[in-house]
Amino acid sequence: MTRGCLIFAHNNRDVDYAKLALLSGSLAKKNLGLPVSLITDESTISWMKESKIFSNVENTFDKLILVERPNTENKRILHDGTDKKIIPFINSTRADAYNLSPYDQTLLLDSDFLIFSDRLNQYWDVESSVKVSYAANDINSKDRLGYHDKYVSDTGIKLFWATTVMFNKDENSKLFFDLVDTVKTNYSYFADLYMFNPTQYRNDISFSIAQHIMSGFETDIITSLPPLLTTIDKDILESVDQNKLTFLIAAESNSYVAAAIKDTDIHIMNKQSILRNYNSLMELV
Amino acid sequence: MNESLSKALEFANYRQTFAIQQKTIKEKIDAKLTIGHSGGVFKIDQSLLTFVEMLITAGRVVDVPLIDSNGNPVLIPNLENFKTEIFDRYFSVCYEYFQDYEKLKKSRSVEALLNI
Repeated sequence: MTRGCLIFAHNNRDVDYAKLALLSGSLAKKNLGLPVSLITDESTISWMKESKIFSNVENTFDKLILVERPNTENKRILHDGTDKKIIPFINSTRADAYNLSPYDQTLLLDSDFLIFSDRLNQYWDVESSVKVSYAANDINSKDRLGYHDKYVSDTGIKLFWATTVMFNKDENSKLFFDLVDTVKTNYSYFADLYMFNPTQYRNDISFSIAQHIMSGFETDIITSLPPLLTTIDKDILESVDQNKLTFLIAAESNSYVAAAIKDTDIHIMNKQSILRNYNSLMELV
Repeated sequence: MNESLSKALEFANYRQTFAIQQKTIKEKIDAKLTIGHSGGVFKIDQSLLTFVEMLITAGRVVDVPLIDSNGNPVLIPNLENFKTEIFDRYFSVCYEYFQDYEKLKKSRSVEALLNI
C-alpha cells in the first residue's frame, strides 16, 4: 500500500505557485515523512527553470506529473493585507486528482497549506474512502469567517474545505471524484439547485456537493479531516524565526494584532506574504 | 489621547494577542491529543481514559469495541496496549500544555507572548 501527498501548481503572472508548491511539498515531506508528487504544466516547469528552483523541485518531489495547462476565465480577488487586486485563478483540475495520483492512499494539499506537524498521519487508517476537512478555524480569537465560509449558500449545505483531502484508490473515491467533475462541468445547474453564486468556481463547493450526494443527501458530520487553522488573506505573515511564524492579524478598524505559532499546521490565505518569507520558510525544511 | 486611555488600549492589544496565543496553543494540544488507532480516530480526554481503565478493570481487554470521535464503532484488539498509548500521550501532551500555559500567564508584554 503506497501513501503520498499530491499538490497542484499552475503559475500565473501574480502568484508564484511553483515556489508555493515547492515549499508546501518540502514541509509535507519532512513533517509527514511521506513522498510528495506535483501536478503541473510545461509553462510552470519553464518558470521553475528560469527562476532556478527546478533542481530543488526535482530533488523534493517523488514524481512530476505533467498535464495540459487548463484554460480558465476564473478570477478572484487576491488580498495582501490591505492591498488587493483581481487575478486569474486556475483551480479546475483538482477533480483529476484521483486519476493522476500515483499512490494507493493520497493526501491532496493546497499549496498554501503548510504542514509543521504529523497530525494528518493519524487519519490514514480511518475507514473512509474520502475524507475532507469539515471546517476552517480562524486563528483570531473572534471568528472573522463569513457565512459563506461555513455554508455553500444562505440556505445551503455545510461547506467542506478542499484544502486537505485524503482518499483511497477505490470505487467510492472514483465515484466521488467523478461527481466533483460533474459538478464542475455543470456548475450553473448545481448553482441553481444548491442556490449558490456561480460567478467564481470554487473547489470547496464542488467537494461539498459531492460529499452531500455521496452521504445520501444527509448533512450529519461524517468521517472527515480536522478543521484547518486558517489566517485570512488580510492577515500578514510578518516573519519566520527558527520554528516560529509571526503574523499580523487583521483586527477591527484597520488595526493589527500580533500572533505567533509553532509546530502547528496552518492554512495561510495571503500567498504573497508566504512568498515574501520564502527563504526563511525553506530554512525550516 | 490621555495617558490612561493610551495604557488601556495597550492593555487591550495585549489581551487580544493573549487570546489568540491561548487559542493557537489549544489548537496544537488538540492536534496532539488526537490519535488514529485500529481504523478509528480518538480524541484523548478524561472520559476516554477513565472508560478504558474501567473496561480493563472489568476484565474486558481483548477485541473491545469502542465508539470513536466520528461516532463509528472500532474494534480494539488489545485494550492494554491502547491504554498505554493514550495514557503516555495524554500525560506528555498535558505537561507540554501546562508549561506553555505557565509561560503564557507570566508573559506581561506582546513581545513575551509571541516568544512562547
